[in-house]
Formats: sequence, C-alpha cells, structure tokens
Amino acid sequence: MLDGDVENSTYTEEFDKVASNRFFEGYIAEQNIIGMAMGLAARGNVPFAALFSCFLTRAYDFIRLAAISKLNIKIIGTHCGVSIGEDGPTQMGLEDLAISCAEPNFTVLYPADATSAWNATTLIAEHSGPCYLRIGRPKSPILYGPDERFAIGKCKVLRKSREDKVLVVAGGVTVFEALAAYEQLQKEAISIRVIDLFSVQPVDRDELIASARAAGGIVITVEDHYAHGGLGDAVLWALAEERVRAYKLAVREIPHSGKPKELIEKFGISSGHIVNAVKSALA
Amino acid sequence: MTVETSVQLTLKILQEKATRLRIDSVLATTEAGSGHPTSCASAAEIMSVLFYSVMRYDPHDPRNPDSDIFVLSKGHAAPILYAAWAEAGAFPREKLLTLRKIDSDLEGHPTTLLPFVDVATGSLGQGLSVGIGIALHAKQFDCSGQRVYVLMGDGESAEGSVWEAAQWASLRGLNNLCAIIDINRLGQSQPTMLQWNLEIYKARWEAFGWQALLVNGHSIPDLIAAFETAEHVIDRPTIVLARTLKGKGLLGIEGLEGWHGKVLAKPAAAKVIAELESQLSGADGNGSQIFPQRDATVLKPPRMAIQVQARSRPMR
Repeated sequence: MLDGDVENSTYTEEFDKVASNRFFEGYIAEQNIIGMAMGLAARGNVPFAALFSCFLTRAYDFIRLAAISKLNIKIIGTHCGVSIGEDGPTQMGLEDLAISCAEPNFTVLYPADATSAWNATTLIAEHSGPCYLRIGRPKSPILYGPDERFAIGKCKVLRKSREDKVLVVAGGVTVFEALAAYEQLQKEAISIRVIDLFSVQPVDRDELIASARAAGGIVITVEDHYAHGGLGDAVLWALAEERVRAYKLAVREIPHSGKPKELIEKFGISSGHIVNAVKSALA
Repeated sequence: MTVETSVQLTLKILQEKATRLRIDSVLATTEAGSGHPTSCASAAEIMSVLFYSVMRYDPHDPRNPDSDIFVLSKGHAAPILYAAWAEAGAFPREKLLTLRKIDSDLEGHPTTLLPFVDVATGSLGQGLSVGIGIALHAKQFDCSGQRVYVLMGDGESAEGSVWEAAQWASLRGLNNLCAIIDINRLGQSQPTMLQWNLEIYKARWEAFGWQALLVNGHSIPDLIAAFETAEHVIDRPTIVLARTLKGKGLLGIEGLEGWHGKVLAKPAAAKVIAELESQLSGADGNGSQIFPQRDATVLKPPRMAIQVQARSRPMR
C-alpha cells in the first residue's frame, strides 16, 4: 500500500496499523508513488496506491506507462466529484474516469457503498492487470447486504418492473440521487429502472442493452464527473448499435465550493434533475 | 614480450565488448532506418562494465528473482540494451537486426514484451522511481541482496519526477540502488542545461542525500571502481555521474550536435563499423557471447541480508 500523505483521509492508515512493513509513505510526490508501485508490481507484488483522484492526474504519464507495461497495479482515486463539497474544484476529481478508461487495458470500477467498495477491492486485488477504483467522499448508506456478489463487467439492477418507462444509469453518489428520483417518480406513477453501473470498464453491455430495451429505449446517465469520457460515455458506447434516446447528466462547467448537496443540485446531477430529465424525455 | 595480466586482459575484454555494443547499435539502427545510435554509443562502456563485470544475472533466465536488475531509464538507447543481452547470450545476435519491426519484440523503446524488461521505458524521468520500487522489493521483501542499476540520461534529469525519486530513495537509505547518469552533454535539440558541469550535478545529488561519484564514463577502470564503491555503502544510494561523449567511437560524428535520434546511412555506417572492427583483437573470443568473469557473473548465493529499514527514518 502506498500513500501520498493522505492516509488519514483515505483511511489507509488502518492498513499501516496492521501491516506496516507493507505500507510505504510516498509523501506529496504522486509521480514517484505510482512509479514505485510500478517497480513493485514488476517484481510480483500487488501494489495499491490510494490517492485523491484529482491528484492522480499528475501521475498520468506513469499510469500510461503502467498500461503499456501491462502491470498488475491497483490505483484508488478517492474524493471524486463535486460531492466533496467545500474544498472546491481544485480538489475534485472530475476527469479520472476519462483518464483511466482511456487506457484500453485498465479495469475501472466505481462502487457506490461500503459493501460494493469492499467487494471491488477484492475483485481488483485478484484480477490480473492494471485497475482503477473510484471512491467518493461523502458518507453513504449501505445499499447491499453482506452476501451480495459483484463481478468485473457486471452492473446491479436496483429497481425494475414491467412498466419501466426510462432507464437511469448511475454510479457512486448519483446512485442515491437516482433512487431518490425513483421514489419521487413512483408518487407520480412513473416507473423507472435504476442501474448502479459499478463496472465502468468493461461495462455490462448485455444488461444495459436488455434494460434499455425493456425501458422503452430511453436512457438517462448521471455521474459526478465531467461529461467526456466517463460513465455516460461508457453506457453510450454499449448502446451505440441500439435504437435509444440517451441523455447524459454530468458536470458541464467548472464547479465551485459549497455544500455537497448544494453542488450536486447546482451542477445538474441531483434527484431533481433526474426527475426533470425523465419527464422531459417522456413529454 | 609482455605478458598480459589477468586484470589487463579483463579490461581489454570489457573494452572490446563496449566496441561490439557500438557496432551492434549502428548495425541495428541503420537496418531499421531509425533509432538513437549516438545515445547508445555514449553508454557503451557503462553497459559493458555492468553487463559483463558487475551485475550478477543469468542471461538464459532473465526473470530469475535473485538477479541484479537493470533499468534503462533512457529508453531511447534500447538498441544497446538489446545488444547487451544478445552479447551475453540471451538470444542470437542476428535478431538485433529486427529492431523496430512490426513482428519483433525488439521495439523502438523497450517494452515488457521482453523478459528482461521490468517496466516499459522511453518516457524519460520514470526509471528511477521504478528502480526504487524494485529495490524496495529486494530489500524489504526478498532480503536477497539484489542490486538495482538505473541508467538515466542527462537531459532526462531535468524531469521533476527524477528528483521526487531522488529524495525518497535517500530518505529510505536504499543502498542497493545505484543510478548512473550518462552525461553526454547533448540533449535532442541542443546541449543540456548543465552540459559537463559535473560539480553542479554532484552538489545536487549529494544535497539529495546520495553518494555521488564523478567518473570518466569511457574509462573501464573508473567505472569498475565506482560500482565497487557503490556496493560498499550501507546507508544511501549511489549515483555514478559519468562524463561521456554523445556518439563516442562513431567515426566522424563523435561529440557533434544534431545527431540525436539520427541513424547513419548505409555507406557511412559501413565506414564506422569497419573502423570499430579494426579495434577488435578477438580477446573476447571473437564475440562468442562468453563474457570475461563468467564464474563471477552467474548467480552466486545471496549477499548478506540487509537489515530492514524502519519506515520513518529521520533525515541525517
């Protein structure tokens, strides 16, 4: 486990407590941290480097070479999205999915709660090849029970009926926004299907196609990430050969400091925005 | 009639090996039509000393976990890396002529398609960090006494990531790490910031906590002595600051600007190679892919295990 002086934010300090001989403090030097991880991986270790997702951009050249070298390196980007709140845009990872998914051999997982994060960690530890795990900052409710199973390349269908009018695909913090939107729309007798994408690369193409078809071919994606190259684009790629109308909710301007809830509302990815998008799509 | 001592013979063999590496680099890059022969030529003695005298490894088993590791951070010198392994017997020398071809593993810059390449290089400034990861593994987990050698370029040392690595390696006391800078003064488009101001290089690396050794990068005895010194330091990594000439030994272009990443056309290459070949006496068995201290260079029992360092070491 490698850290960049954020172990008390990412909580990898807990790892340090139980396995200090396998914990390396890299200080505020992300390029060196990822480079060291690459060297460790080359000699057969499974290194995890947990950093703030926005600061990983500094080490993008190393991430690129880790992909080219096909190394068994596991990168965790925490504090993603506008939902980190008051610290403001310089601390928000809003392009990390685009960067990691750009490398064709990177596996990219984006768990929404603690259970799925636990599972995702195990999955990438056991998977052979470079991996990126995206983790949000706000406390989130537990969505999944302890026996829920996850897989690379598989999403989770959280709400489903025979009457689904629209498919909403979300990830991380926006899964809870989507579930709140579901409740709101139920009151208005509109059923939506809700998917927690979980695996951004590879994406669960089969389920997305089946669910999109079942939901009348109308798809709304919602992500705490910029519009390019993230969750929305992964879904659009999967549905590219289908007859769908797709709407991408994402952060489409440089954000700002504020409370997490305020920012999610202001930057277009809240449950209210999802409800409006569903109604517009059906109008 | 003089009798050559075995030391003199070894020096002669190592010099001839360096000459062979130059020949191989020119042949391969001219055949490929692209590459960096002058960047290879400046490092020939460094490579020869490391591969045929200092490092302990098995050319037939490059992934052996007990081997010393070499990282070519200046990845554009790939042809001389390939030549070094070929001359050690890892694969037939003829394969060197497949450099940069679509169906060859000998790519323009080294990738992990090759068993002796741990991490793909060529994006300058990464090799030292990678070397730290490898050295850390050797010290912390393997306790095998493996040594790690990282060859960088002088232009490359402008990269900030090199200094991120430098500060961490010395903090950690990674004495099993030995870096070399091939200070050939010339970057791609112009001379480097510091050119041959070796005293500044030395001051900087010492300030970062490294043992810094200045050598003539074309002197086999100097290089051997430097690597020997590096092996005996117990509390910090070593950097060998090697003053070299870009294109050293290449007739007509030695030390000239404007030759970075340029190959010799076939007629010029033929002249250069003829001149290099005229320096060979066959002391190395006519390039029979047997290197001088064979017994010393195959794997020995591990060196004495080095004490694992505490995580938070106060700076000296």
